[in-house]
Amino acid sequence: MSAPVLAKPQLRGLLAKRLRFHIIAAFILSLGCANLYKFGVAEPRKKAYQDFYKKYDAVKDFQEMYQAGVFQYENK
Amino acid sequence: MPYPMQLGFQDATSPIMEELMYFHDHTLMIVFLISSLVLYVLILMLTTKLTHTSTMDAQEVETIWTILPAIILVLIALPSLRILYMMDEIFNPYLTVKAMGHQWYWSYEYTDYEDLSFDSYMVPTQDLNPGQLRLLEVDNRVVLPMELPIRMLISSEDVLHAWTVPSLGLKADAVPGRLNQATLTSTRPGVYFGQCSEICGSNHSFMPIVLEMSTLKYFENWSHMMQT
Repeated sequence: MSAPVLAKPQLRGLLAKRLRFHIIAAFILSLGCANLYKFGVAEPRKKAYQDFYKKYDAVKDFQEMYQAGVFQYENK
Repeated sequence: MPYPMQLGFQDATSPIMEELMYFHDHTLMIVFLISSLVLYVLILMLTTKLTHTSTMDAQEVETIWTILPAIILVLIALPSLRILYMMDEIFNPYLTVKAMGHQWYWSYEYTDYEDLSFDSYMVPTQDLNPGQLRLLEVDNRVVLPMELPIRMLISSEDVLHAWTVPSLGLKADAVPGRLNQATLTSTRPGVYFGQCSEICGSNHSFMPIVLEMSTLKYFENWSHMMQT
């Protein structure tokens, strides 16, 4: 009258299995962080500068600043 | 100009500073990549009881963690060298201005066409008008035309100083007996601030630099007014 026998658990290769899984996860995570910074900060910054200078009028900006009294001397 | 709680660079006012900002973004992205990888692996190592008791060598992983950093360094070096060479391109300046460092003020000489030279002292805190910036304002600002390449020749009459304007991406040592050249091109008008960046004595923190980038007409009128 023997009791049912449990399946033999996995006893070998546990660290290797863990490492394989987590190293892949680590690379995905770190590449994800890099892409998050690139597409969240770096690319919007480039676009912001491009958009700013697309329709920028430096002389008009100067005149507005001059009227606001930003510059030291009263002349034009 | 800098502002409270600032985290990044001041807004770029020259093409070189824009390139430097983008390069900083690129390099910081690599820093986050490596830091997140290392942090993850660190936590991984600290959260297991599993060990490998018979490690003899690790040729494969040693190769990977030699080659990968070398590739990353090349990916940093190439854009860096590109900007370095960009800074030294032949640029045919419209104007040459000399900035001479003294203890503890700057003097400027515009000697291309006529003889114009003046000193630029910091405005003491007790003499500031409302709205002016503490430790940044000067009595005589450096007025320059915008959107034109200008050659700055920087030197010193006594000890080492450094002439800096962060929003233009400029910094050059003022060395006695030596002329250092920097190219200045501003894409926008406005007032731009900097501070001496080489320890030069007790008032090192109190000799700022203020540039006024203006239209050519304003610059010519100012130049004429300063001479009379």
